[in-house]
Amino acid sequence: MTNATQLPVKLGLRLLRGPAGAVLVMATIFVVATLAFFAINGREAVSLFQEMVMGAFGDSYSFSETLVKTAPILLTALAVALPARLGLISVGGEGQLYLGALFGTGAVLAAVDQPGWILMPLMLAGAMAGGALWGVIPGLLKTRLGVNETISTLLLNYVGILLVSFVVHGPWKNPNSLGWPATIEFPAGAILPQFFDTRVHMGLVFGIVAAIILHILVTRSRWGLGLQVSRSNPRVGATAGISYERNVLIVMAVGGLLAGLAGIAEASVIQNRLQDGLASGYGMTGFLVAWLAGQHFLRIIPLSVLMGGLLASADSLQLYAQLPKASADILQALLFIIVLAVASLWGRRRDI
Amino acid sequence: MNIQLYNITKRFGDVTANDGISLDIRAGEVVALLGENGAGKSTLMKMLFGLYPPDGGAILINDRETTIESPQKAMSLGIGMVFQQFNLVPALSVLDNLLLAYPKSPFWTFRRLFRTSPRKAVLTYLQELAPGLAPDTLVRDLSVGQRQLLELVKVLNLDAKVLILDEPTSVLPPQEAERLWGLIRKLAEAGRSVVLITHKMQDVMACAHRVVVMRAGRMVQTLDRKQCTESSLVSLMMGDSNQRSAIEVTPREAFANRPPRISIRDLHARHGAQSVENIRLDIAPGEILGVAGVSGNGQHLLADALVGLTPLARGEVIIDGYLLQSASRPPSTSGRVSYIPEQPAVNAVAADLSLTTNVALSHFRHLSFFPAWAPEEQLTRNIIQRYQVRPDNPALAAGQLSGGNLQKLVVGRELEGDKDLIVAAYPTMGLDAGAAHDIYQALFAKANEGAAVLWISEDLDDLMSYAHRIAVLQGGRISGIFDPRECDRLDIGRAMTGEHQPARTQRPPEQKPADPRVRAAS
Repeated sequence: MTNATQLPVKLGLRLLRGPAGAVLVMATIFVVATLAFFAINGREAVSLFQEMVMGAFGDSYSFSETLVKTAPILLTALAVALPARLGLISVGGEGQLYLGALFGTGAVLAAVDQPGWILMPLMLAGAMAGGALWGVIPGLLKTRLGVNETISTLLLNYVGILLVSFVVHGPWKNPNSLGWPATIEFPAGAILPQFFDTRVHMGLVFGIVAAIILHILVTRSRWGLGLQVSRSNPRVGATAGISYERNVLIVMAVGGLLAGLAGIAEASVIQNRLQDGLASGYGMTGFLVAWLAGQHFLRIIPLSVLMGGLLASADSLQLYAQLPKASADILQALLFIIVLAVASLWGRRRDI
Repeated sequence: MNIQLYNITKRFGDVTANDGISLDIRAGEVVALLGENGAGKSTLMKMLFGLYPPDGGAILINDRETTIESPQKAMSLGIGMVFQQFNLVPALSVLDNLLLAYPKSPFWTFRRLFRTSPRKAVLTYLQELAPGLAPDTLVRDLSVGQRQLLELVKVLNLDAKVLILDEPTSVLPPQEAERLWGLIRKLAEAGRSVVLITHKMQDVMACAHRVVVMRAGRMVQTLDRKQCTESSLVSLMMGDSNQRSAIEVTPREAFANRPPRISIRDLHARHGAQSVENIRLDIAPGEILGVAGVSGNGQHLLADALVGLTPLARGEVIIDGYLLQSASRPPSTSGRVSYIPEQPAVNAVAADLSLTTNVALSHFRHLSFFPAWAPEEQLTRNIIQRYQVRPDNPALAAGQLSGGNLQKLVVGRELEGDKDLIVAAYPTMGLDAGAAHDIYQALFAKANEGAAVLWISEDLDDLMSYAHRIAVLQGGRISGIFDPRECDRLDIGRAMTGEHQPARTQRPPEQKPADPRVRAAS
């Protein structure tokens, strides 16, 4: 009889010592830190926190807004996680996103009179090419010249953002926009399909499908095995006929391509045009999510939803509670620090 | 200073590395600690040097029990140790390296102001031991022998009364070893004690006063050197391992007239500052070609070039008349070339992946896109069983295996199937005698099946016992090819340091009188 009662207790304790316990601790600390943050701002902390959760997941509208923000986070997180599987630290999601939007918009502007069945594939292909280009450049710099990929992707972010700024202020500016720096509105044929009368769009589907395919490829296929070997010991990989250089280019290109899709989805569905401040910060948020997920493709999906919820609720906080826009960034940073700190402390404790 | 080790015991997990060892070290005496790799010699001395605490027993210095908890303590007691791996900064000068290791060096780096005392103190022994060596020479320009001397000076600068030398001659060409023996005798005459850790008979016979033979963690016997002969020492050292099956090598006559399996023609390759030039070798099927040389003379680059890790700058490699690779044609990964490098954890496996994965790497290109793991695991189990790899779980990460076991796995992987060329670069480095024996046996058995073996080694004794021919690499070129039955160690030693007459180096190798095989083949 005692056994019967003890067993679940024991099981529970073991779970708590493992990852479940870590997640519980992370969540608790994060909630406490958030409450403290609200309290410091002189607000009714608990009710504001409820407001925040409701703002993210409370009703179908807020949940749809969460999913709208999930899509670019998910895609840019994949753009970080895939290179990380080869040991590369790319922070270039933001720039790749902008380049995707730039090239995709270029395709739209070039074929603006074509019917949707031509325009849409052209736009997506352009976006993927643009993102991939912004991944391949740091890849080439790394394999040919040994340039650190973290630095080059970071710097190319600025180049990408400013390139978009240049075209919308200059050559691609809509003459009828009364000086507002943006391109013309996308024609209907260049708007990605949306679901259930919300703004939730195909980008989310691309992201989920890509995450699943990448997960299968990286964990099960010979190519994924090659990535693991190259990451662990490039020299041994070379002996086995695995080219580290080629893999660097592949993962950077594929990652960039996915971030590029996020960019065109934002331009097409959310903004209907290419303009400045297209997606400020999604690339960085994606980077955080990839690291929170430990570069695990499937874990990235729920974490992106969570982070999307945080961003969406920050919008509503701003609206209803008059908290500054920066609160979202602060909460995001809190979450990131807490998760990484707890994870590493938990890991260390388990090692002992 | 007299040191007594009394009943010292040391365990690492289940392994007893030292089992109740008692040993006296007296002033003015050279003690040789003789034993195979893994016999426990270094462990014993590392305890005296304060690197490990003993699990049992006591260390008495001048009859007082002393705890040596750190190398700093050991050095303050006057005990110094020179390791096999040198601890020098290659980019700094000799003087800077000496100052770095000197406890009373000034904190400041502008030495012109503080030029006086430490500089003189630090250089005294250097001038005594190596009068020709300029203190401003960069360490990276020194030969191995000079670096070793520098390490020795570092230890002497600390006022060491007891010097522990860990396998000092293993990195030296024979004539430099002779110089070192003389130096050791001189140090002992000056009243210091020297402990010489070695597995070589020549070291013992040349300069030891007393021989302590160790085997498998136990002290077998202590002998006066004058009482013992080389053969008696060998049997004491080997003990029951004498019963190990002999390593069989087919005599050279068996394949002397066969066409070469592999022809290396005019091979040039370059990597960083290293280069190999003008390598011409033919290896017959079944032949074991040894490559000797002081380390850092292009051995690794030659191996890398042959297996396709470094592209050739010039020349070609031909297997059975077919071009394997040339400067314009990268190697085809045919799977018939094997590579067994040293330190498998670093050079031959992905340490954080499983044994099965690492075995599958040998035929990576032939795996299906979604690999089926059951046959790979079976193959791994077969290799584990055949080569007695421990622990025998194919799902373990490769990094969890000891060097010897990992090397057995790598050898098993690389020798699987038909092979034309096996490149083995220091395959037994750092392994205990048992593992080394098994690896040699497997390697040479594969040669008997018709593979050409290019075997790079630092151990001249092993090369002379098993190789059919020995090519010597010096400065990236082949400075001589020898038949081990017709030459002595000093011939090879001279080729290793490039001391023999220059006319011979400049002649293309085909014309070398020492190499009738190459001419017969080409």
